[in-house]
Amino acid sequence: MRILMVCTEKLPVPPLLGGAIQTYISGILPHVSQFHDITVLGISDSSLPEQETIHGVHYVRVPGKIFEIYRENVVRYVEANKFDLIHIFNRPRLVLPIRQAAPDAKMTLSMHNDMFQPEKIDPEEATAAIAEVAYIVTVSDYIGNVIRSLYPQASPKLHTIYSGVDSERFLPGNHPKMQKIRNDIRRAHGLENKTVILFAGRLSRNKGVDKLILALPELAKKFKNLALVIVGSNWFSENDITDYVAYVRALAKRMPVPVVTTGFVPPNEIQNWFAAADLFVCTSQWQEPLARVHYEAMAAGLPIVTTARGGNPEVIFANENGLIVENPEDPSDFADKIAQILSDQSLMRRMGEKGRQLAGSMYHWERVASELLEVWEQAEKIEQAVVSEEQAAGMTIEPLKEDATEQLNRPTPKADAKEKVHSKKNAAASSDKTKKGKAKKERAISMEDNQQTAKQKEAAAERTEPVKSAPAPKQPQTGRHIKPFTITSGNQQTLDASPKTHLNRNQAQAKHDTKHFTIASSH
Amino acid sequence: MKDIVIEPWLVDETTHEFFIPEYMIQLAEEVLKNYDLSVQNMQIVTTKPDKGGAIWKLETKSGPKSLKLLHRRPTRSLFSLGAQEYLVEVRKARVPPIVKTKDGKSYVEAGGKLWFVAEWIEPLTPVTKDLEGARKLCYALGEFHRLSKGYVPPKQAEMASRLHKWPKNYEKMITKMGWFRNIAKYYPEMPASPPLLEVVDRFEEQARKGMERFLQSSYVEFVKQGTAHWGLVHQDYGWSNGQMGADGMWIIDLDGVAFDLPIRDLRKLISGTMADLYKWDATWVREMILAYHEANPITPELYELLMIDLAMPNEFYKNMKEVVYEPEIFLNEQTAQLIQTIVETDQSKWPVLAEIENDWKGVG
Repeated sequence: MRILMVCTEKLPVPPLLGGAIQTYISGILPHVSQFHDITVLGISDSSLPEQETIHGVHYVRVPGKIFEIYRENVVRYVEANKFDLIHIFNRPRLVLPIRQAAPDAKMTLSMHNDMFQPEKIDPEEATAAIAEVAYIVTVSDYIGNVIRSLYPQASPKLHTIYSGVDSERFLPGNHPKMQKIRNDIRRAHGLENKTVILFAGRLSRNKGVDKLILALPELAKKFKNLALVIVGSNWFSENDITDYVAYVRALAKRMPVPVVTTGFVPPNEIQNWFAAADLFVCTSQWQEPLARVHYEAMAAGLPIVTTARGGNPEVIFANENGLIVENPEDPSDFADKIAQILSDQSLMRRMGEKGRQLAGSMYHWERVASELLEVWEQAEKIEQAVVSEEQAAGMTIEPLKEDATEQLNRPTPKADAKEKVHSKKNAAASSDKTKKGKAKKERAISMEDNQQTAKQKEAAAERTEPVKSAPAPKQPQTGRHIKPFTITSGNQQTLDASPKTHLNRNQAQAKHDTKHFTIASSH
Repeated sequence: MKDIVIEPWLVDETTHEFFIPEYMIQLAEEVLKNYDLSVQNMQIVTTKPDKGGAIWKLETKSGPKSLKLLHRRPTRSLFSLGAQEYLVEVRKARVPPIVKTKDGKSYVEAGGKLWFVAEWIEPLTPVTKDLEGARKLCYALGEFHRLSKGYVPPKQAEMASRLHKWPKNYEKMITKMGWFRNIAKYYPEMPASPPLLEVVDRFEEQARKGMERFLQSSYVEFVKQGTAHWGLVHQDYGWSNGQMGADGMWIIDLDGVAFDLPIRDLRKLISGTMADLYKWDATWVREMILAYHEANPITPELYELLMIDLAMPNEFYKNMKEVVYEPEIFLNEQTAQLIQTIVETDQSKWPVLAEIENDWKGVG
């Protein structure tokens, strides 16, 4: 399919300036672009060309920053270019304008936070937008549930796809590639012989690092040589210090434990700080969609203390890869959970290892991409069902020729990409001369280097397992589409929310609630 | 000149009162070339160095005008300019008319900001600082709110609305009471820390009670009625932005207007005025509300919300929120004194609110 991915108006792709959505997009692109002709529409940036094609992905960049301006540019682009499917990231308010510009395209939407809240989108517009899209994928069950509670009719379209992390970039501090970096950072910041607690995130009331700072006096009584590292870009900014940053600074100044603040860390160096730390703490006070830092901390082999807010607990297996703070507004709850981990060295080690293992087996980009591919494939079919219903009702709608062809041909990797896909596992032996091939080759070698091979084999086994047990095996063409889909008749879809390895309490419930249907008719 | 981007600038003891950087003066002259005005004199009258805004007074053959450099994002400024135009042209409100450029536009973009020229209204005199003056101010405010209803921002403009933000603002107030407490706790040696610690619980409790009442109020219904129903708030309305002209009260400095519940402006005017009086006065509060009501009727439900908003610890919050910046300077003797004054004024608030609580019962 010709697919357009529409980013948000805030930050450019690739994620030069970071951003969860931007990271997500660039994480899945290498995989999804092997199956479809992908164009990424996003905002312009002085350091990036207005148009370029990299590894077969077309990038188009238009002025943005302000939603209204961006919307106008997006509409103009969509009017001038035809796509089979348009996937919109986190901007339900783009759905209707895009629908107008592209009446025939299939549309899917992914939701990364609360943009469906009534103050973000008029309920009438939200209702219409939901009706226009085939699926809404969300980064956590929490996000899906919020949408469901606001708009129950969205329920059959909702589908959680957890995000991922690059486990070859985020590595534990004792990994051969990271040991020196870890030691250098610790030396440079006076953290030698310290137990380093890490917070990474925006300094804001919602993210709540102040609660962690206020837990320090209590922790200092129990543990010697603690240090807190705050990786937060807005710590030092001169002009625009928020009240919150000022508050946190004022507190940090008076703590019995050193508080090291890094200021802005370029997104491509952030993994170094994870490798330098010993414990990761996420302090979200708000209903966090599901912070990316959890995946990064897992990949870096850090035990996690996080809060029972929003989607955060969905990736914590209590006592296995971390602990959950039930009362995040209370600093002493943080102190308790942190103390529980710090006082048991073997628990600490086991949690880190478990995290690392989960990052490799579940939270990797290939899995994210394959789940999204599956959604797209299903989206393609839904529209066809609608057409056929209308035809049955005697309406004169010409079936699109492209559609007819695609009905026969299941989506397959783009011809030129197919070989690369197959060669991937054996990349080291491949003679592929393209840049893409080389990059993969290097990656494959580094994977061997990192002494995790056994675990990765295990992980690979885990990855394919759900396919074997899939209830409706529409054989995925590469064995990578791990999520089985089942479809009800007409326009009602029910998705099997997650692979078996994913289940936690929320999902188990969701799964329990899900009724399975098989395809009623396929033309 | 084309690539210049206006940034905030530094002022210190070496710069004069209305200092602005040279490039901005040049930009201003460039901007004026877009207008069919013969400018005889140009004088800077207001600067906002920390934000990058300024106002000049122009003497021209066609009378006095103002030239304004709006510090906000251009798309945000478009919202306000559209409002000013709507109020003047459609609603015939007494706000300064915008002077068009040679090619009929209402603004010029330069240095990454919007500039515009408006009529300089003369004569304008502040109302007297007494109950009669307060009444005039309130009536004019009500009129402004009523006339602003029906405004539809231009398509390119950002939507500026605070209508949904009331719960967040109240939550923020409660949260920050905790901040004030923690700062005082960790800076115990400062003179204002003990008095701050002594009173913060009381104000936090007020905020919490206010929040509870707010959640029981008709706010959610108000929000459902939508921005167009309520119209705009000025956000910076007071004794200087509402002034008496030849033919009635004029309202100036509209660049911060946003959609919101109009009583927000009224509440700020009342609580600010009571702070100036150092005590709450039931007659003043009643008369101010009535004067407003004459111009823009207040329903019993809206009155209830006004009461809730008045009961919030607005003055304490407003005056203490700076504490997070430099506690070692802020928490001085002077602040200790200020806390004392705020507490005293606050004590006179409660009998007044109790007295007027039921004024609107059965009205409507």
